[in-house]
Amino acid sequence: MYPVNIMSGRFPVLLLLLSTCAPIFAQEPDAAFFENKIRPVLVAKCYSCHSTKLSSPMGGLAMDSKAGLQRGSASGPVIVAGKPADSKLLQAIRYTNPQLQMPPTGKLPDSVIADFEQWIGSGAHDPRVDSAGGASPAPLKGMSIEEGRKWWAFQPVKEIAAPRVKNAAWAKNKIDSFILAQLEHTKLNPSPQASPAELVQRAYIDLVGYKPSFDEEQVYVNDHSPRAYENLIDKLLTSPHYGERWGRHWMDVARFAEDNPTGEATNPGYPVAWRYRDWIIDAINADMPYDRFVKLQLAADEMPGVAHDDLRALGYIGAAPIYHKDQRLSYDVIYGFMTDDWDERVDAVSRGILGMTVACARCHDHKFDPIPTKDYYALMGVFASTMRAERPTFEVDPKVEERFLWIQRRLFDLRYSADLLTNEASTVVGAKERVDKWKAEIESLHQEMEGLRGQYPQLTQHLERFWTFPPPRQPGAAGGGGGARRANANVASSEPFFNSVYDAAQFADGSDAHYTFINYKPGEAREIPVMPHGSVTAAGADEPRHFLTVLSKDDSTFHHGSGRAEFADRVFRDGAPLTARVIVNRVWAWHFGKGLVATPSDFGTQGEKPTHPQLLDDLSARFIAHGWSLKWLNREIMLSAAYRQSSHPRADGEAADSVNALIWRMNPRRLDIESYRDSLLRAAGKLSEDMHGPSEEADSLTNVRRTVYARVSRARTNQLLREYDFPDPIQTSAARDLTVTSLQQLFLMNSAWVHNLSSTLASSVDSESDPHIKIRDLYRKILSRDPSAHEMELAMAYLDRPADPEAKQSPIEQYAQILLSTNEEIFWP
Amino acid sequence: MIEKLSRRGMIQSLCGGLGSVGLAALLNESTAYADSLGHYAGPHLPVKAKNIIFLFMAGGPSQIDMFDPKPDLIKHAGERPDSVNLRTERQTGGLLPSPFEFKKAGKSGIEVSQLLPQMSTVIDDVCVIRSMYTFNPTHVPARSLIHSGSLLANRPSFGAWVSYGLGSVNKNLPSFVVLTPGGGGSSSLWRAGFLPAEHQGVAFNDAEVEPEKMIANLRNQWLAAPEQRREMDALAALNRGFSNSFGEDSFLDGRIKAMEAAYRMQFEAADVYDVRKEPEAIREEYGKTPFANGCLMARRLVEAGVRYIHLYYGAGQVWDDHATINKNLEKRCPDMDQAAAALIRDLKRRGMLDSTLVVWGGEFGRTPVSESGDGRDHNPYGYTMWVAGGGFKGGIAYGSTDEFGFKAVENRVSIHDLHATLLNQMGVDHTKLTYRYAGRDFRLTDVYGEVVKDILV
Repeated sequence: MYPVNIMSGRFPVLLLLLSTCAPIFAQEPDAAFFENKIRPVLVAKCYSCHSTKLSSPMGGLAMDSKAGLQRGSASGPVIVAGKPADSKLLQAIRYTNPQLQMPPTGKLPDSVIADFEQWIGSGAHDPRVDSAGGASPAPLKGMSIEEGRKWWAFQPVKEIAAPRVKNAAWAKNKIDSFILAQLEHTKLNPSPQASPAELVQRAYIDLVGYKPSFDEEQVYVNDHSPRAYENLIDKLLTSPHYGERWGRHWMDVARFAEDNPTGEATNPGYPVAWRYRDWIIDAINADMPYDRFVKLQLAADEMPGVAHDDLRALGYIGAAPIYHKDQRLSYDVIYGFMTDDWDERVDAVSRGILGMTVACARCHDHKFDPIPTKDYYALMGVFASTMRAERPTFEVDPKVEERFLWIQRRLFDLRYSADLLTNEASTVVGAKERVDKWKAEIESLHQEMEGLRGQYPQLTQHLERFWTFPPPRQPGAAGGGGGARRANANVASSEPFFNSVYDAAQFADGSDAHYTFINYKPGEAREIPVMPHGSVTAAGADEPRHFLTVLSKDDSTFHHGSGRAEFADRVFRDGAPLTARVIVNRVWAWHFGKGLVATPSDFGTQGEKPTHPQLLDDLSARFIAHGWSLKWLNREIMLSAAYRQSSHPRADGEAADSVNALIWRMNPRRLDIESYRDSLLRAAGKLSEDMHGPSEEADSLTNVRRTVYARVSRARTNQLLREYDFPDPIQTSAARDLTVTSLQQLFLMNSAWVHNLSSTLASSVDSESDPHIKIRDLYRKILSRDPSAHEMELAMAYLDRPADPEAKQSPIEQYAQILLSTNEEIFWP
Repeated sequence: MIEKLSRRGMIQSLCGGLGSVGLAALLNESTAYADSLGHYAGPHLPVKAKNIIFLFMAGGPSQIDMFDPKPDLIKHAGERPDSVNLRTERQTGGLLPSPFEFKKAGKSGIEVSQLLPQMSTVIDDVCVIRSMYTFNPTHVPARSLIHSGSLLANRPSFGAWVSYGLGSVNKNLPSFVVLTPGGGGSSSLWRAGFLPAEHQGVAFNDAEVEPEKMIANLRNQWLAAPEQRREMDALAALNRGFSNSFGEDSFLDGRIKAMEAAYRMQFEAADVYDVRKEPEAIREEYGKTPFANGCLMARRLVEAGVRYIHLYYGAGQVWDDHATINKNLEKRCPDMDQAAAALIRDLKRRGMLDSTLVVWGGEFGRTPVSESGDGRDHNPYGYTMWVAGGGFKGGIAYGSTDEFGFKAVENRVSIHDLHATLLNQMGVDHTKLTYRYAGRDFRLTDVYGEVVKDILV
């Protein structure tokens, strides 16, 4: 979401761009008729053979341009305006002449033929405007590959000499010269440095995700050494809680979640997805170079010398959302759902890592960016050759594992099918025979797995639920419940497996008209045909798997397996400048509240341009030079004077640049739900330091763990998370859109969760008899400071009044709740 | 990210929850439309309807037994002519006639089943669309289609689009409310998708009639109102002090107001959600069943300015009558019939029907051929929905299905066409209501949909 666009006064620009992907129905009825009735048919049924994009359109007829259609085919005109009977096109689609029947894939519906007749009869009005050069090959409606190669975001990054500034003394590092140069150009001064208390709060929230305690704040405020601030940053960067904070940022991009949007029989939850979350936290804590971090998530299983534990990274693809596939549906429908699943991966990866909206090219070439449909299907082939797999946390002979993973998928489908047609036998012809056959196959696979029990008991155990009829009555036990039973299980599991992937070509099996299985072919890869309009019934020629053409420096066809490893390599070789810019901008946005590029997941022509292009380039180049180290980047940004600025408002800044594009101050923010919940728990002394492990609900009264370990659901977003603008994990999130609502406040005013914290806090000061001390201590615990004299007076006045004998909350508990609810507590200065 | 929000942006963000600034005249707040703040700032058409109540019959109610009489079924009972060889979810058998009698109702003489005596009395205000069709024969994808115009479970819900396109009339209430008994259902059906989060449907459990059971944390269990008032005043004083020291900030200011609004909402706004405030006679007219309470609350929400109310009949896909359909319909229809008809009557009495669209239907209909002898399978090819009010013609039956009621053949209306037509009545061109996301402009109707002018006044 890009709220920035709407709120930053760029609204008029946005409006001009509306209605672009959908056909624009022109005002005149003729044009509307063409756009509505004719063009979609031409696109879907004719262009694949009759297009200027082809080196030799069939019969010399190109129908994707006005000129081409008017000129007709090698043997003459195909349309005679006003005379349907004389128009060869109409003859062809009517199928009256056995020698001339178009489209060859099947006769069009009569209503469509009638539309063409009407269109030709009324003059064959063609409102299309051909690009210069008429029907000469114009490869793209949007930007051509050649033009695209000149796009700013794809250019190499290189270090840039710091611009000269007047107030050079202000700059603390190179970042500042770029910021200051633009401020000076606008005659704006930067803001003064934030107070020590503000700085230490800002740094704690930023790096470890909660506010500092009173003592932690005092240590910093009283450290007068010249390196106090650097030391603070360095200390926080080594905290294990850094990974919990920065791992969570990445989880927004990776649309991390532990289940599927509908959670039905064929798309059950991912009970071991938490292991992927833990891997992210560990990798971030270890400052794993960003290139390796991403490569492992894409292709850990295809890279040499990878520790088995790092296969957890594959949860990025292995725990991605999938749709329910009722196998009674036809081949086309099931195949369609499969392409929807793969589309999701193309979108998540291209926007999340490359900042490119490749999924726009599913139905047609990208209308703006240099991304032809072929590129889209080239990438889809990668994911069509990658099956999800629950892989063991322990090492297994590779041959055995490959067979086990295939059996796992096959058993899942067989068991689901057997259950389905046992319970709903009347719904498919020959249900009983089918179920018997499937059960026999289940039994044979069962026997095969029994043969492995001696060597790998856990593998066999893991699949027991598939051959156990009826299912055991203890869900939650390892392997308990049938395939379908586990579908809606809402609990994380500790089974020694993780949600991962394995190379296998996947095909919808259309051999049975009444029942559609999915075939998995481990070790094989497949290509996906280009599908105009994204329709599986309109498949064209197979497209080899390869990288985005515009970024490729040479032939980028993938040759090894699914091509995930080659894709990952290309991302950091050919795509390195773009990839670096995208992550540097994300990190900048997580530090400053908004990016140098205001659309962090769209660096294409429809995204925003950077406010500080040289800064972005320089920082990206240095980021690469520092081995893609995120901690280096964090440190570099946080040590800048720009970052250390006060966030207080300034009239001159508001007047000159109300959206703070020039960074004349730090952006004041509210805490996100993770750092808010964690800070509240920590104030009450309840926040657990325990890391890792299965998830629990965020608003459970007994859950005192950090919010990063809260359960994330695509089917039922936790209410607390949802109310505080947690991103919907069904797709990659570019930025959080933080709102202020009354429901949020009801949580603070009336929930048992907050009430419990107030009670705990009140008890913790119970031993003090002096109410002044009680209040002072509450201020220290919650707001990490002492109250002012005026605040103390207010508190005393509150405590001094006659107590309401009916109240079930003591005045001191009430005051603790008041302090927990303050704006100051949720504020990120 | 909290930036310096404009006043417009700030109020928008306040509207996401249950309200904010100023609770005056909550029940009948008639904020000028110029003040109603949607995100969408594109062109608007003349406004015919201000609100939508969608009575959703999950599972797929049987048009054959309710609104689409097919006497030919009796003649051909048990037969299986080629024309019914359409693929549905399950294996089906021969033609199964409806045992329910259809009678001409109202001045219009539209034939309505004996299952729906109350609907028969208001049929002259209803536009019955007998030629609906959709694109998938299974529940979840079909439900996604009717809710969001897309098979994919990640697109914004219709209600979210309406909220985005038209904004909130009453700043104290969400613009998109979902009433679902038992609080069930998948929140993915009322998601905001890529639209700003505030447009997400706010779901309440209308199996309850006490607002405090419907809305989480609505009441404070520990303090009486005056005591909590003091707490809130003390909090506001601290917050004002913080604002003074920090300086003007829209977030800090907005949260003070939201806090105050939340306090008052506990007592005042909750009334809107309390159908017990209605006169007994009205409650009797609707019927006091869970669905009746939902319908009545929907009317109260419309009066209070909620744009879009999506109301589920029952928990789960209750109209999914694969077996014993006749018995099921006899059991289920009476309270649905009574409440839906009462809603139309009540809106009309109050002069609100012209500006309120009442939509009825499921994700698809049911087959004229039997499943396991006494049930009907899913039918996306042709089924009935109806719309009352909001500038739709009353007392007409539009379109038709084939001789057996399987496939829509005349004046076919797709779910995209229906969405387009409903938006049209709300004053929005469905081709113009777009949102730019992930590099392109999205619409509720994708690249489809045509306004069905024939059914509009």
